[in-house]
Order: sequence, then C-alpha cells, then structure tokens
Amino acid sequence: MKTYKYLFLLIGLSIIGCSDLEEEPVGLLAPESFFTSVDDIQTAVNGSYGHMMHRYFVSREMSMPLMLRSDMVDLNPNGQGAERVQFNDVNLLADNASIEQYWPKIYQIIGAANEAIAGAKLVDADDAIKNPIVAQAHFARAFAYFHLVRQFGDVPYLDEPVTDLQAASTVTRTPAEEVYANIIADLEFAEEWLPNTQKARSIPAKSAAQSYLALVYLTRGEFQQAYNYAKEVIDNEGTYNLGLDPDFQNLYNENEDASLEPIFVIDFIGMTASDDSDQGMNYQGPYTGIRNDDQYGLGGGWSVEIPSMAVYDTWDDRDYRKEVSFDDTAVFDGVEVSYEHFTDVSVGGYANGVDRPHIAKYNRRNGNLYAGGNGRGSEQNYMMMRYAEVLLIAAEALNEVSPGSAEAHGYVNRIRERARNGGVANNFTSSTFPEDVSGLSQDDFRTMVLEERRIELAFEFKRWYDIARRKLGSEVFSASGLEGEKPTFDANRDYLFPIPVNEIVRNPNLTQNPGY
Amino acid sequence: MKNKVKLVSAFFLTCLFLTTAVVNAQERSITGKVTSSDDGMPLPGVNISVKGSTIGTSTDFDGLYSIDVPSDDAVLVYSFIGFLSQEVPVGTQTEINVILQADQNELDEVVVVGYGSQRKSDITGAVSSVKSDELNAFPVANAEQALQGRAAGVVVQSNNGGEPGAPISIKIRGNTSINASSAPLIVVDGFVGAAMPQANDIESMEILKDASATAIYGSRGSNGVVMVTTKKGKSGRLAIEVNSNYSIQNTADKLDLLNADEFAAYQQSINSGYVQGSADTDWQDLLYKSGNTQNHQFSFSGGSDKINFYASTNYFKQDGVIINSEYEKISFLSNIDAQVTDKLKLGLNLTGSRADKDGVPTQSTGSNGVNGGGDDVVSLMFRFMPDLGIYDDNGNYTTNTIGDNIDNPYAIANEAIDETKTDRFRANLYANYDILENLSFKTTFGYSTINETVGYFRPSTLIVTAGGVGGRAGIDNRRSTNVLSENYLTYKTEIGKGNLTLLAGYSYQKTTTERFSTGATGFISDSFSYYNLGGSEVTIIPSSSITEQEIQSQFGRLNYDYDDKYLLTATVRRDGASNFAKNEKYAIFPSAAIGWKISKESFLEDSETISNLKLRASYGVTGNQAINPYESFSKLSTLFSAIDGQVVGAVVPDQAANPDLKWESSYQTNLGLDLGLFNNKISLSLDYYNIDTKDLLLADASQPEYLGFLTLASIRNVGEINNKGFEIGLNTRNISTDNFSWTTDFNWSTNKNEVVSLINGIDVFLDASPGYFSVSRTHVLREGEAAGVFWGYDYQGVYQGGALPAGTATLAGAQAGDPLFSDLDNSGVITTDDQKIIGDPNPDWTMGFTNTFRYKNLDLNIFFQGAYGGDVFNLTNVQLYNGDSNALKDVLNSWTPTNTDTDIPRAVANRGREISSRFVEDGSYLRLKNIALGYNFSEDIVEKLGIDNLRLSVSAQNLLTFTNYSGLDPEVSYFGSGGESSGESNTTQGFDFGNYPTIKSVNFSLNLRF
Repeated sequence: MKTYKYLFLLIGLSIIGCSDLEEEPVGLLAPESFFTSVDDIQTAVNGSYGHMMHRYFVSREMSMPLMLRSDMVDLNPNGQGAERVQFNDVNLLADNASIEQYWPKIYQIIGAANEAIAGAKLVDADDAIKNPIVAQAHFARAFAYFHLVRQFGDVPYLDEPVTDLQAASTVTRTPAEEVYANIIADLEFAEEWLPNTQKARSIPAKSAAQSYLALVYLTRGEFQQAYNYAKEVIDNEGTYNLGLDPDFQNLYNENEDASLEPIFVIDFIGMTASDDSDQGMNYQGPYTGIRNDDQYGLGGGWSVEIPSMAVYDTWDDRDYRKEVSFDDTAVFDGVEVSYEHFTDVSVGGYANGVDRPHIAKYNRRNGNLYAGGNGRGSEQNYMMMRYAEVLLIAAEALNEVSPGSAEAHGYVNRIRERARNGGVANNFTSSTFPEDVSGLSQDDFRTMVLEERRIELAFEFKRWYDIARRKLGSEVFSASGLEGEKPTFDANRDYLFPIPVNEIVRNPNLTQNPGY
Repeated sequence: MKNKVKLVSAFFLTCLFLTTAVVNAQERSITGKVTSSDDGMPLPGVNISVKGSTIGTSTDFDGLYSIDVPSDDAVLVYSFIGFLSQEVPVGTQTEINVILQADQNELDEVVVVGYGSQRKSDITGAVSSVKSDELNAFPVANAEQALQGRAAGVVVQSNNGGEPGAPISIKIRGNTSINASSAPLIVVDGFVGAAMPQANDIESMEILKDASATAIYGSRGSNGVVMVTTKKGKSGRLAIEVNSNYSIQNTADKLDLLNADEFAAYQQSINSGYVQGSADTDWQDLLYKSGNTQNHQFSFSGGSDKINFYASTNYFKQDGVIINSEYEKISFLSNIDAQVTDKLKLGLNLTGSRADKDGVPTQSTGSNGVNGGGDDVVSLMFRFMPDLGIYDDNGNYTTNTIGDNIDNPYAIANEAIDETKTDRFRANLYANYDILENLSFKTTFGYSTINETVGYFRPSTLIVTAGGVGGRAGIDNRRSTNVLSENYLTYKTEIGKGNLTLLAGYSYQKTTTERFSTGATGFISDSFSYYNLGGSEVTIIPSSSITEQEIQSQFGRLNYDYDDKYLLTATVRRDGASNFAKNEKYAIFPSAAIGWKISKESFLEDSETISNLKLRASYGVTGNQAINPYESFSKLSTLFSAIDGQVVGAVVPDQAANPDLKWESSYQTNLGLDLGLFNNKISLSLDYYNIDTKDLLLADASQPEYLGFLTLASIRNVGEINNKGFEIGLNTRNISTDNFSWTTDFNWSTNKNEVVSLINGIDVFLDASPGYFSVSRTHVLREGEAAGVFWGYDYQGVYQGGALPAGTATLAGAQAGDPLFSDLDNSGVITTDDQKIIGDPNPDWTMGFTNTFRYKNLDLNIFFQGAYGGDVFNLTNVQLYNGDSNALKDVLNSWTPTNTDTDIPRAVANRGREISSRFVEDGSYLRLKNIALGYNFSEDIVEKLGIDNLRLSVSAQNLLTFTNYSGLDPEVSYFGSGGESSGESNTTQGFDFGNYPTIKSVNFSLNLRF
C-alpha cells in the first residue's frame, strides 16, 4: 500500500504547476526597453527604409498610380484591373484598391520614423552623436508626408508613436499648410544634422535634405527659397560628392550604387522577406517590360504600363535619353522584333499586349543573376532624387524670381550636354540634340524647363506632381494631350486623390476630398 | 410428567422456532451467471448488490458470480452500463441466472460530462450524444467530419471541400465570437484541448452546448465542448477486430465552360485581333481524376478483473480527385486501466500519429509576386485559356496570354510541391483513489506534442511562379508542446431523499510553441525539392519565434437531486490565462441549472403515454481566451531592410499596448424540454438558447490605418454579438419486431446571429476576394446585422442605352450593355456610396435526417443533411464573367446590340470584377449525405468460420444534392487571400472560389471480429 501511496503522491502533487501567469516573451521587442544605444536609433530608422521597399510603397502601389495618372504612361487597354483603369482614366473611386494598400504603408514609414525619433530620447548620448541618426528619421518622415500632402491634401498628421489609440483614432485632417510647415521643419532639422556625405545614397545626406527643401518650396511656388536650397546643393557639388553621371544609361544600371548622381534612392537587393514576399520585391520591371520578351533573360515583362505612341513620336529621335528610356524592339524566340509586331503571335508576340515601344528604364540594365521572374528580383534601386533634378529645380525657380538669367539657362544646358554626349545604350555615340538653350523669355523658359523635366525625369514618378503643382490638367488631358482627351478630368476634383473610403468609416472625423 | 412433556415440547418448539429463526437469519450463498440478451454471451463486470444494503459483488470473466444474501426476502439488483437494471427476489433459490436486457431506454445511459459522468436522465444542461455507429457510418479522415448532421446545433464543415486532409471546423450554436476562435473545446478522455482521435477508436462523443454543461471549462467553454471517450477493453474475453474500407471517389460536378472555338469567338468579340491558339484543352478533364480512400483498422482488447486494455492501429490513405493531391495517416492508440487495489485505479492513454499531406495549391494566398488566387489549381482550371495546350512549341509549360500572367493549372498541379508532415503524440496518465467510501480523488497528468513541417517547392519550370528566379523552396516548422495537470476530489452523499455530489479541483496547462521558417531561390537543380536549401543562390530572410501560454484554474460543481425529481447543478470555475493584460488575467465563470422530472411526479408516474417528461433551465457565463500570446504588449517587430546593397537590422512599430485586453465572455441561457412517449418509443428534445457574447475579442479593423503600426488591426475587446436559436432532436422507434426494425433520427436547428455593438458603432469592412481581384470590400460587420453579410452594388440588369431607368445608374464612362446598379444616393453615377448589404450567408436552419432499417441480418441507413436560407457569394462567377479568362457557356448570351434581352452584360476585356448582387445566390441545399446497406453474416456461418462477427457493407456519400446554386457545390469554404485562409473565420462565410471540390464516393467496408 505504501508504494501506491507514494506513487499517488508523486503523480498528484509533484506535477501541479503554479504560475503567476506573467508573460515573458523571448525574441519580442518592447519599445520601452529597446532603445539603449545610438545603433538602436539607426535600427529603427532602417525600419522606415524597410517599409519603403514594400510593394505597397515604391515598387507598385505608389509608382504605378503616379505613372498612370500622368500623361507620360498609358495603360494596356486589354483586361486591366479597375484600380489601374481608374488612375489612367482619371476616374478614381474612393475604394480604389491601390490607394487602400498604399495608405497604411506610407503611414508605417511615418510610424517607424516617429518611433526612432521618440526612441532617441531614451538614449543617453550627446546630440552631436545621436542627432545625425535622428535626422534621418526626420528626413524619412518629411519624405513620406510630402508624398501624402501632394496626393491627398489635408491628411491626418501624427508625429509621435501612438500610445492613446482612442485619441489617435479620432483626429481630424491636418490642413495641408500645417503639414507643409512640419515637413519643412523636419527637413531643416535633417539639413542641420545630416553629414555632407553618407556611405550610400540610400541614406540621406545633407544634400538630400536640401534637395527636398528645394522641391518642397518649388511645389509651394516659393521660388526664392526653392532656388536658395537648390543653389546650396549645387554650390557644394564637390563637398557633397555629387555630379551628373557622364552616361545617362548608368543611372538605370543595377550597379548605379557607384554613380555620383543619385541623392536619395530606395535600395533593392534582389531579396525578399520569408513572411512577406512583397517586402523587397521589385515590380516596375515586370509592369513596364514587354511580354514574352527574351532580350534581358527576365522571362519578359507584363506589358501593363506602356506610354502612348505620342510620347514616343514627339520625343526627338536624336535624344540619347529616348534610347535609354525606351525599348522599341523585343526578342521573341531568339528573333529581334520591332514594336509594331509586339502583339503578333505568329512571331511569338503577346496577343493582348500593345504595339508600342515600352519603358526600358527598369529592365535594360537590371539584369543580374536573380532578376528573373519577369524582373521582380531586380536589384535596381528606385531613384527618388538625383542631381539633375536639383539643377532643374534651380533653373525653374530662378526663372520665376529673376527671369532670363544665364545661370538658369546654364543649369538646363548641363543636362542637355550630358544627353548629347550619349553613351553605351545602343552604341549611341553623340548627337547635336538637344541643343543648348539661350535667351528664352520667362514664359518660354518655364515651358521649356517643365518639358525638360518631363523628358529627363520620364517614368520616375515625377510628372504627375508637376502636372498637379502647375495645374496643367486641362491642358495635358485635352484632345491635344499625349494620351488624347480624358473627358472625366475635373480640375475641382482630380488634383487630389480620394481618402480611402474605409478609413473614413473607421474615423468619421476624416472628411472626403471634394467630388469623391 | 405431562408438564414435563409440555415443558420439553415447549423447549423443543422453542428450540425449533429458535433454530428456524437462526436458520432464517443465517446468510446463504447464491450463485449464477449473467448473460446478455443481445448475443447470449456472458457479461463480465456486472454489479450485483443486495437492495438496501452495502453487500455487493460483480461477475467474473465468464459472467459467473457468487453472493451471500442475508435472507430469502433479499432482493438482488443486477446493473451494468448499457443494460437495464434487473431486480430479482431471492426467495428460496440458490442459483439465479439472469439475462440482462440491453438498454432501449437512453435515459439510463451514462453520458460523459466535464470531470465526471451522469445518467442522461439527470442532466440539466443541453447535451447531445453521438454514438460510435453513427461516427463510423462511412469512412472519414477526421472524426469531426462524421459529426455533420448528427446533432442539433452543431455545424460541421470542411475548410477546403473534398481536399485530402483538409481541416474540419465545428461550430456549436453559431458564431459566438468574431475574431477569437469559434471552434469548440475538444476533450479526449479528460485531456483538455486534445486532437480528435480516429473515428474507429471512439466509443462515444458528447457535445456540451449550454453554460450549465460547459462552464466547468470556464474560459474555454464558450464555443461548446466536445467530450470524446475512446474505446476501453472489457474484462473477460479477448476481442480482435478488423475494419477495412475502400472508397472510389469522383468530383461532384464540373463547370460548363467554353471550348477553344467558343472561347476564341468570345475573345474576338472583345478584341477583334485575338488569334486563336492551336489546342483545345479541357483543363477540368486534365486535372480531375477518380480518387480513392482506404482505411484499415486493427484493434485488440480485453482484460482480466484487474486490468483492461484496448489497442488499435489505423491506416488511412486518400488519393484526391485532383491529380497529385494525397493524404496518408497512420495512427495508434492504446488504453490501459488497472484496478491496482480496491481503492486505487490507474490508467494510461497513449496515442500517436503521423500524417502526410501532399497537396496541390488551392485557396492560395499567393506569394512571391503571384497574387492571391494566382497559383490556385482549382480556380485556374476554370480560368485558364482552353485554346492553349499544356506545353508550347518549345516544350515549356504554357502561360496564359490574356489577363494576369499565370501558369497553367496542369503545370502547377504537376510541379508544385506542398507537403505537410504532422507528428502527434499524447500520453495521459491518471490515478483514481477512493480516500473514503464516498470520497475519491482523481489526478491526471498529460503531455502532448505536435511537430509539423510544411515544405514547399516551385521549380523553375513554373515560369510565372518561379521561372526567372531559378526555383523557390522553403520549410516552415512548428513544434508545440502541451502539459496538463488536473486534480479533483469527488464527494457523494445521500441526505434523506436527496443525493448530493460535490466536485472541487485544480488545473494547470502550459503550451509552448516554437517555429522557424526559411527558404531560398535560385537552385542549381530542379531535383532538390525543398531538401537542399543550401544548393541555392539566394536565401530568403529566415524567421523564428517562441511563444508560451499558461492557464491555471480552480473549479467546483454541485449536483443535487431530490427524490429523483428535482435536479440542481451549479458550477464555478476561476481561470487565469497568461494571454491577457496584467490586471485582467483572472475571471470567474459561474453557472446554475435546474431540472424537473415531471414524469416522476405521482400524477404522471403511471401514465402509459408519457414515459418521460423533463424541464431544464440553465444560465451561466463562459469565456473565450483563444487569442495569441503577447497581444497586450506594445511591441516592435523586425523588418527586412537594406542599405548600400546589404541587409541591415531594422525594427518597426508592430502594435500599441493594450492594458485592458481581457476575456471575451458569453452569457448563456438555455431552456429545454425532454419528452418520451409510449415507453420512449418517441423521444423529443427541444432547446431554446440565447447567447450574449460581450467584450468580443476582435482584430479591430475599425482602427484607422494611419496609426502606422505593422499590424493594422490589433486585438481589442470590442462590442457584443448575440446568437439565439432553437433546436429539435427527435428519435423514434417506428417499428420494432424480431425481424424488422425502423428507427428515425431527426434534428433541426435554427440560429440567428446579430452583431449587437461595435466600437463607436463603426462598420467593419472586410474582404474575402482573392488578392488578384484588387477588391477592398466584400462583406461587413454592422450593428443590427448578422456577422459577415455580403456588401456590394445592387445589380439591376443590363443598361440598354439612352436614359437611365429610374433609381439606377452605371459606373462612370459606361455604355449600353454595361451593368446597371441601384443608384442609392441618386447621384446619377455609381460610386462607393451606392454599395449596400446584398446577402446573408447565415442559413435560416440546418437539419439532419436519418432512417435506419433492419431486416434480419440486413440493415439500411439513409442520412439526409441540409441547410436552408443561406446565401453564397459566387466569386468564381465574378471571374468567369469578367472577360479576361475562360468563361461559362452563358457568356454566349452576353448583351450585344442585337441581343438585348439578356441579364448578362456585354463582353469586355475586363469587367473590373465588380462585387455586386449579380453574384449572390441562394445556397440552400438538401443532400443525401450517406446511404449504406450492411449485412451481418448469420451466427452459424460465422461460427463455422471460427469468428465472432462478420459484416459487409456498401455505402455512398453525397450521391444526391438538391440545390438551386449554380456553382459546383453549395457547401463553400473560401476564406480569401488576406491571411484568413487558415480556414477558421467567423466573419468570412459563404464565399465560393478555388476551394477543393466536394466529392461523391462509393464505399465498401468489411468488419471482422474474432
């Protein structure tokens, strides 16, 4: 009996657990305890950059709408999703799927920046040591809000980590003016603390802050300020280690990390996350590439975003930048085929493609070991700001404050000269086009510089913002526009996108933009 | 002398009398044998007691017994589970042989309840029982499947149609939760939260439905509890049993799609330049095949008076009706019970299994640039162009040339590898010690573990999915261990006419889950599958994690019955769960119930009509803590990020702290009536219930998305949901003669679900469409409506051009032939403001109807199951009328300027996949779920063969379905590609897209017992 009693006791008592039920997570990070060193601030800023690498931000849900919305990129008319058609036709609905995906992602960039800025306060280090890192977060936050304010106007503005869900969930839209003031304040902080150079262009340096300040002021029509900041960058070209790349094609190479021209890029390295393959996946290659095309060994693109014929036809053939920007031939089954036959199935084309030249900037030189899968594995970075744009900002702004200056003409001519010099693309040696400009009136110069931006920065997500800030809609969407008439364009509605309808349901204090 | 004689006589008489008295008072021994009326076999273990005393014994292996009785007046009571008790006055008999009648009266059945068992007649709660023969009416991979239609208020559904190895979800009395799981707690032989054993090994299943029955499980009781008892050995004889099944299976239906010529003509009507491909492929024919299932079980059991054992092994294999989809499972189970001493009983349950699921992608969530639904063989075999062959001229797999870039379904089914290997093991050791005659202590120690590896591989020959990246492969592993200790005291006593049972206990459970995941792309060879991740060029960023959860509880129960007429049950459980916020970890869950056996009252006691009448009422509170650990913390998550061409460490805010996160609580009321007529030939149970679930745990999609957290919808306690319903269970023994019997089981239940409140009354919009649809709303949670009602435009037919019919409009830029929708805001154009509720997936009622006929050795079982009034959203048709894929034959009747009298809009290149009432259909159905014919070989044949029993049967499942639903099957289970595809969703119901088809099968089975 005793044996059994022992057994009994053994089973009955020794196995009774007793716990205080406190959770002690392993491998989980709490904001209160995470920030202990300056490196931790950088890790949090890297979170901001990481969110930028997502499909929902730069590689798809931001870039595709901005391109389709402009007059530079048209949509393949054959069987495209409603969210794309709406952007291309200037006919947005408030439940547009791209906007629904983009909206939370850009706020996650901001959330990560806010976390880094707040976390830095917990780190015991001199401002001189930590502020250069914190400044990156201010830059990232300004970068994100600058996109938001241009797309949506007034937006919810949060500048610290959310701890009170209820309060944060009921905010109203902050007026665009105030958002701009905050963007400028963030960029000024970044300008003050960021170093002259960084180890890579995917980390903002002082030049990035100043360039964005220039673009922000340009967008607001405060041309003197825009000019001043652009000039600051140009004057420090050497200090900031900047310059125009001698060959325009080099900007769209997988190894453009070495170029001096980029000022701020979003880095892609051909890898994706195991729990979310859209984190790090590069989509502009497939969307702009030619379906069935073998020429880059990528398995062909998807023939979705295709410029109208007018964009190609009106672009002077002598312009080297046209060579770099377009693919007018493809290779089907080993045979080179001109764009007129892209849909010819008898030569291996794709019936539901489009017989037009396709964008080459995202495919031609992204060819690396892993760039297959239609180019989704491309390591090509996304150019957010490059030195050529700074020159064009300086030129445009200066023309507004003191028209007719040789200086303004000179900035444009630097860019034109580079174009004339040609480069490796299609063995384009050199050209007499585009000629230097001189002696233009203020109006002519303004028209010229906007055109120069359209050409030089083609397919780099800049054009729609130019149309919106210069209110060119009724002109570019008229019958004489590059894509023909877009009858649904409404100037009172269409310079802003709709706030996602589900977000207004979640926070009824948010209002909708007019007309949606 | 005379006096002396008298005296002597008196003495003698007295002596005689005394002697007689002494003889009368002297104990004597009665012996005998107890056999069963069923088969005449001896019954071991029958309890025999002398009425009104504590004298008792039980029969041995051979059914023999011996008992000492105090007098001829003694009455012996013979009782045994499953048999009617019998009372026999001893009289002068010395040998009493008894034949016990099998219990036709279910009321004396003992049913298993939490931490004990009760006579069915003493139950005060709502409890349904399902017996072994119902569970084994046809072969199933999961015993859960066998529950469908068997019990009122229990809804069972496959999460992926007829997919081999698809998980099965059970919902008891509706969706009592929105986000936290609605799956019931499964308790196997006392192990809380165990995996369901094989159907063949199950002796009985009890479904506890109301708070009176479930509140003893406190925080885990709110979705109901399924109590499973596995088979135990019986003393006396060694039984060896073999069960063997073989089924032939086919898909229930095919869609009527365009062939190559029709397809080309259709595309040319959209785009005159369309060039017809050279092939004519019926992808459904290519991918569907005849499948089969085999299930073999071997068991042996037996025991002595001290030790009983039951052991079995089971092999299940299914070859699905889609090529390359298979499932295989081997399992074993062993139960040993030992009566160590008079007071101590020990037992051990061991069970283990290995399951291999080798599937094809269905219900795909998409990844690696393939949108959700884009590599899903079922939807692709409808979508993919019929004028393309399997291979192109170069011998590569074809990809489509209209619509999104997709691989052909045959290529995916052949080349994609998706394997899940699951090992399960569980051990449960118990000791029961009778401290006093009426006080016992039971302690249980259990351990279970699940180790699951999911491997996937996409070779480079899948051009869209993995072509350019040189193949892609990965492994996810999850290891979860669960330790359980339960300890409780049971005390029984009689107080006058009353019987009191008290129970008190303590329980502790801990679950630890470890995971890791990694993968790679760019393989040197396509021959590695996922077994050589090192042979690759690029690593996918790996991840790993560990989580721990603990629950500790105290619980108690009081059962009191007075005079076998008035019943009272009260329970209480105090639970603490680590998942919740610091100050919200503990909660108390009470319940109380009363019962009144009216038929025991004197005015009904002798009624010949009413043999049983009982009223039941219960009220109680149960909880739900089925959320992930660490949800109350503010947390940062790591994110893949790169700078300067290198991966860098990065963190981002994931969720805000929620210091108030607490239990979801269900306040449940149940009113029930049990009625037995004509000696219980007719027995009827009626139950009404009302369940208010408060502090709903919800992944709060009403949280704005501008907050910047990685987790867009964090778990919060929001709002309230109500379920109320009515259940009928009716069993009748229509005919019962020696040669022929007919019984009917019918159950019918209705459940009405309503979202009572949400945070600030804000609608929560949800999306169940596949990712490539690029749609953001398909259904909604709205106060006052059932959970998950469909949301979209209200279709009003085809626009004929000219002025818009009153109250309707089109999307901007539409022309004649495009769809017309209700213009709710009278704006003249359709925008998101014109969306409304367009359907409700919740059925009005569900039912099951079984008839069993026996004629001599032949038996026939016919089982119908059905649901009425639920809508289905046919997402498949949204695609098949969209223009950028193959289409239903109906598109040949699309609107054209010359064919205007039609409900089908004109053909366009891309319809935009509008979510509208055009695709909402009635999903009501009635289905012949099973029809089975069995034959038991007669005893003389069986004896000649030297066996105990031989049974052969043939059955057919899903043979007939009556429905107006136009899709393949009204039992749909698509969960969208937004991460809800784990298959369990309370809010996403009634969507049809890309799930594995439901199957018809014909099954042959053999049962052999030695």
